Amino acid sequence: MSQKETDILSVLQAKFKDTSVQVQPQQLGKVAVIADATTYRDVLKALLEADEKTAVIAITGIDLGATLGVFYHIRTSTAGIITIKVEVPQEEPRLKTISDLMPGAAFDEMEVTDLVGVVFEGHPSPGRLVLPDNWPDGVFPLRKDAKLDNLQFKPTPPSEPASPGNEDIVKIIIGPQHPALLEPEKFALKVEGEIVKDVQPRIGYVHRGIEKAAESRTYLQDVYLVERICGICNACHATCFVEAVEKILETEVPPRAKYIRTILLELNRLHSHLLTLGHAGLEIGFETLFQYFWRDREPIMDITEIISGNRVISSGMTVGGVRRDINEADIPKIKGMLTSLRKRLPFYKKVYEDEPSIKMRMKNVGTLKREDALKLCIVGPTARGSAVDIDVRKDEPYEAYGEIPFKLITYNEGDTWARMNVRMDEVEESINIIEYALDNLPTGPFRVRVPRVVPAGETVNRVEAPRGELFYYLKSNGTAYPERVKVRTPTFANIPAFLATAIGSNIADVPPNFVSLDPCFSCTDR
Amino acid sequence: MSKLAMWARLKSPWVLHFNSGACNGCDIEVVALLTPRFDVERFGIKLEPSPRHADVLLVTGSVTQQCAERLKRIYDQMPEPKFVVAIGACACSGGVFKGNYNVLNGVDKVIPVNAYIPGCPPKPEAIIDGVVKLLNSLKPEKPAKKEKKK
Repeated sequence: MSQKETDILSVLQAKFKDTSVQVQPQQLGKVAVIADATTYRDVLKALLEADEKTAVIAITGIDLGATLGVFYHIRTSTAGIITIKVEVPQEEPRLKTISDLMPGAAFDEMEVTDLVGVVFEGHPSPGRLVLPDNWPDGVFPLRKDAKLDNLQFKPTPPSEPASPGNEDIVKIIIGPQHPALLEPEKFALKVEGEIVKDVQPRIGYVHRGIEKAAESRTYLQDVYLVERICGICNACHATCFVEAVEKILETEVPPRAKYIRTILLELNRLHSHLLTLGHAGLEIGFETLFQYFWRDREPIMDITEIISGNRVISSGMTVGGVRRDINEADIPKIKGMLTSLRKRLPFYKKVYEDEPSIKMRMKNVGTLKREDALKLCIVGPTARGSAVDIDVRKDEPYEAYGEIPFKLITYNEGDTWARMNVRMDEVEESINIIEYALDNLPTGPFRVRVPRVVPAGETVNRVEAPRGELFYYLKSNGTAYPERVKVRTPTFANIPAFLATAIGSNIADVPPNFVSLDPCFSCTDR
Repeated sequence: MSKLAMWARLKSPWVLHFNSGACNGCDIEVVALLTPRFDVERFGIKLEPSPRHADVLLVTGSVTQQCAERLKRIYDQMPEPKFVVAIGACACSGGVFKGNYNVLNGVDKVIPVNAYIPGCPPKPEAIIDGVVKLLNSLKPEKPAKKEKKK
């Protein structure tokens, strides 16, 4: 245990020495803190004082039988993940909100209310988040006794009038089907003249109930299910899940498998970043750039196909290793493709840095200050564009990232331009990582046999997906099926960034700003 | 006149893409169709943002409760004759999400479907093949060639 971890631990132990709060090291991340409804806010306050980078990663709601568990997963820059466990009675599931201490937690609380039915008192905007508008009252899908067959749906509530009364304010509704969005979501913007006054998001159009479905499938089936949470960052979801299972099984993955996983993860990042960089061009009316980026993205899809057999959903991961080995004969071909992509990068870099139309549409648009990014718990390239140096690959290296040299990229501007340039630079770093991994690929087996039965236990795990920190909480109960799988995706954490930057901006700046956060609603809703 | 309309329909179908709760896997493949490697514009196919101008509706995803009504509305807004193509295993039958509490298990539970393209996700070549097959099925049967007079 490092010096800093001991610090946080001793701070907690000293502060809550004579109270009912129990501090358990090396549980659920680095530390698990067992608190109750009266003390959990004090624990959070103590953590906030101890470290400026303290952020709420996720709030897991879980049915524990007699009580409902609410687990606050907190990230600190020095000590990794800290989990605060609180239990509330089934009959009266009420807790005070923490969104006053940590505004970024507001959406997490709404999700827990929707799926588990814990009411957070004092929440700024209670209401439906992921479930449909016509969902019956009093049915909470993630409770164990929920009856989900033959649901009696309510009649759909009538849509709100387009004009909110005040003549000067116009309501513009974007979505659910809209040319600028590839996915169905609704954003109601209130504009006065050209200025956006308010944004009301309605997500949940892509909510498929994956967390519930994962409880009725075996661990191996779940690997393929969680991959399909998001078609873009599928390898990250699969890796995060299998790593969590391996943590409970206490299995060590062979080195070759670690390197192949790293290659697949970086290919994921490459194609996702190229996709977004191109899409941003489309949003500002620079369609040539979009076509260029997507043309150069195709070789990446080909490499994924060479390695895994599939263009998009690679299905490369399995518990205990990877499913297919890399054929040594393919390596020169893969490297050739990467080299030709690398040759194109200076051109793209020049376009993103110097092209006047890009500068005009992206510089000083949607600026997110560093303090706000920390307060709203923003992750990934969006946070790194605002000078917050967080990256799970550096903070808590997994797979082969501890052995591979690469740079952590941050920009200080915090605007759309900075966020896109973070991605531009990360493309180059990803190519470096893949080339290094291919050159130093260890020999040996690419998977190990694992025990068939997963023992009872619980764990948390996180990986750095293309859009930021992806978090999984997994609880097993000794049977063939997991007890609870909680997924917190980076895009879910980044919605507050859009709300914060869009309000007060020009309406024409909304699309480039929105794309620079790299939204992915299939991740957000699950 | 109807011959001219049919000719135009076959040579330049305008398509509308709607994601009804997909994982984005199929959607990025649909967008990839427009880009230089696959370039469906060579068939006259154009991605059209408005349902009122579209001939073909490409639907991906397993249709969530919240999307179902919207999907129906988009279908009703399209002018006749209209065709629906279900892309991916989810749109065909619910796929990996079949039986989940918030999905309706396939596009054909909500609107009639003309062509199914299975796969998770289907490769762009498969989508092109499916759309071309749909277009070919619309062609009026050609009368058998007359034998040349001697």
